[in-house]
Amino acid sequence: MKHSHDLHADVAEVLLSEDQIRAKVAELGQRITADYAGSEVTLVSVLKGSLPFMADLMRQIDLPLRIDLMEVSSYGGAAIESSGLVRILKDLSAPIDDRHVLLVEDIIDTGLTLNYLLRYLRGKNPRSIKVCSLLDKPARRLVEIPLDYVGFEIPDAFVVGYGLDYGEVYRNLRFVGVLRPEAYES
Amino acid sequence: MSAPETPYPSHQDRGFAHASEAEFARILDFYEVRWEYEPQVFPILWDLAGSVLESFAPDFYLPDIDLFVEMTTLQQRLVRKKNRKVRRLRELYPGIRIKLFYARDFRALMLKYGRSALVAELSGTVGQVGPRQEAEATLEASPDATIETSPVNGERRSRTARRRAGRKAAAHAAESPTS
Repeated sequence: MKHSHDLHADVAEVLLSEDQIRAKVAELGQRITADYAGSEVTLVSVLKGSLPFMADLMRQIDLPLRIDLMEVSSYGGAAIESSGLVRILKDLSAPIDDRHVLLVEDIIDTGLTLNYLLRYLRGKNPRSIKVCSLLDKPARRLVEIPLDYVGFEIPDAFVVGYGLDYGEVYRNLRFVGVLRPEAYES
Repeated sequence: MSAPETPYPSHQDRGFAHASEAEFARILDFYEVRWEYEPQVFPILWDLAGSVLESFAPDFYLPDIDLFVEMTTLQQRLVRKKNRKVRRLRELYPGIRIKLFYARDFRALMLKYGRSALVAELSGTVGQVGPRQEAEATLEASPDATIETSPVNGERRSRTARRRAGRKAAAHAAESPTS
């Protein structure tokens, strides 16, 4: 990990500006508000990358809603050494049975994590479950899962910012940018 | 989560031809995606008498999503051959869904999971050594040899050696610390 102290300097290109993200989140919020009109929805965010998106999106949805947070271990993390299986590091804090659930994700690439989460959440008997992802990177897809709401389809590049990290850094950038290879190549 | 109907195979149960395949299986295990290793051989070339001259066994089949995955983390000159096989497979078996997983895809996956330091060990000549490379290099240099030497049998012979080499490389990679 060779990131500099100037996070902006590690970004080769700004892919999505703060303004573009703000406009898209507002648009998604309007669509979700219209689609769920008359219903109450539970937004489930997956820590940690989705946090900024969740915070902005929920304020663009004009409906009664609840929020909940989940965190799952990622392959390559400490959990693999002990179990070799994905683990729920933080589960939902309230039941979702018979509730409309909207899973809020930062990015979908391989679809492996999303596939796991959907199976897990469906086991909790929600009335419905849909997926809203800010970014979609279809070039990397292994598991094809229909995405109900997508902010931006992005090219096959390693992106950081607006919640997305590399080695837990860059999450606080206000835009989504392509990380310079020098920042991660050894 | 309820247990799957069929137990997940473990990456430790199989002898892989290449260390990258073992790592890929480990990732699938981690996310509880069922897989089968080289479960099916597809004939892709016949002679006029109808005998199979060339066949193709994709590395993985993921039954829950009905997808074959072929890993191509080898040298670029060998990727061309795999591209041709996949193209031929798609022509002959249009109902088959197959994804070619290139070296760049594998690198991206490792980067995503913070294991980029292992890429060199799990790719190319380090991840797979032994007779297969020599055999494929020969075939690449002399395409006619594909027909002369009955590639189906030739590939089976070399695959045994590939697995032996892959097991060693995978074991070595599994022992290596994560980045």
